[in-house]
Amino acid sequence: MESFKQAFDLLFSLDKELLQILGVTMRMSFFSTSISCLIGLPIGALIGTRRFRGKSFLKKIIHTWMGLPPVVAGLMVYSLFTHYGPFGKLNLLFTVTVMVIAQCVLITPLVIGLTSSFVESTSRPIIETARGLGLRSPRIVRLCLSEGRMSLLSVVLNAFGRSIAEVGAVSIVGGNIQWKTRVMTTAIMLETNKGKFSFALALGIVLLIIAFIVNAAASWIVKEKSDD
Amino acid sequence: MIELLNVKKIYGDRTVLDIPKLSFFEGEAVALAGMNGSGKTTLLRIMANVLKPDSGSVTAPDNILYLPQKPYAFRGSVIENILIGAKAQKEKAQELLFKAGLSALSDKPAKSLSGGEWQKAALCRILIRPCKLLLLDEPTAALDAKGTELVSGILKEYKENTGCTLIFSTHSPSLALSAADRLILLRDGKTEADGKIRKDVDKPETEWENLFL
Ligand SMILES: Nc1ncnc2c1ncn2[C@@H]1O[C@H](COP(=O)(O)OP(=O)(O)OP(=O)(O)O)[C@@H](O)[C@H]1O
Ligand SMILES: [Mg+2]
Repeated sequence: MESFKQAFDLLFSLDKELLQILGVTMRMSFFSTSISCLIGLPIGALIGTRRFRGKSFLKKIIHTWMGLPPVVAGLMVYSLFTHYGPFGKLNLLFTVTVMVIAQCVLITPLVIGLTSSFVESTSRPIIETARGLGLRSPRIVRLCLSEGRMSLLSVVLNAFGRSIAEVGAVSIVGGNIQWKTRVMTTAIMLETNKGKFSFALALGIVLLIIAFIVNAAASWIVKEKSDD
Repeated sequence: MIELLNVKKIYGDRTVLDIPKLSFFEGEAVALAGMNGSGKTTLLRIMANVLKPDSGSVTAPDNILYLPQKPYAFRGSVIENILIGAKAQKEKAQELLFKAGLSALSDKPAKSLSGGEWQKAALCRILIRPCKLLLLDEPTAALDAKGTELVSGILKEYKENTGCTLIFSTHSPSLALSAADRLILLRDGKTEADGKIRKDVDKPETEWENLFL
């Protein structure tokens, strides 16, 4: 209860550091989600609609990758961007940019996997019906998108949820630097380690509230459109 | 003319369709019959070019319309569904709906229709477009006797107006009898019987039903 009170106090006091941490969190999650979806949605759609050799093998790889532990992804990206790594010259370690990259490594396969299985199950009958009506490809793609927008939205929200809740990878490549790369999850870790449980819990509640608002807003937007 | 040569479709190690040669002539009306799983849908899909055969060739005209066994209802009203991507006017759609006895449903969401209502609406969505070859997969499976009769009339009218070739699968002897002039019987993916339907002979219904069993 104490934590709830603290959470609301925190939110409404507009604490400068909290706002900054929230800002970094939202920026990171927005970019990781957008980039993973830009890459993952079309690839997932392609895999879902095409039949080709090696497809089931490819799917196994994607599913394995979906289960990649975040710390492992963090380590992989870390070793690429560390001073002596292949991209060391870019000096990106401990920046929000590299946190976004690490998260994309984690989330893109999730988007590909979810999209392809959704497309496979839902789009088949749509495509068969639309082609039977003599419709052309661009229109068929639009129909699939419009019919499946609820499922696609849930793919995007899944990606966002994973990104905002993720801690292992971002703490490794981001370093949890105050005023720079600290996000909600790494701040929660830190406060927990310091023994400030109720403050950590308060941060957790703030995170939950943010996630809820984003979810509600997104489904409201899509609902609005579908009720035309 | 439509022609299939050595067409085979194999799923796993099962050959579900094996047609050495099958031709259809322009303007024909053909009924495909056969038990569940005999390959009717597979054959129609291949002719409609939504499924590739594992071997063989299919010669067919460009302008094909194909109604799947379970046509998809898109978001939006019945009339919006009918007009989707069609050049026709709203009046034409309403006229078709009227013929199918669906006038009252034209503004209802397509997804809310009953199985039989939607089957007729989906047929209207097909028939508002012109074509050279019309392929229908069990167009009256969800309809009662009256609905089947109605559809049979609508199909004949469409055929007269467009001069298209019509091929449909069905489990209904009365639809085959009234709307087709040739019957092909499939069994285990092969054509077991293929012949003209002679309406003048007026075979008793039961004999037709035997053929279908
Ligand atoms: N995608 C698929 N994978 C595996 N087997 C399939 C697939 N599609 C069809 N089959 C099999 O092919 C056979 C023929 O199926 P088809 O749908 O052509 O039958 P049908 O004559 O249309 O039957 P019904 O009267 O029930 O509609 C069936 O045994 C079916 O199980
Ligand atoms: Mg079938």
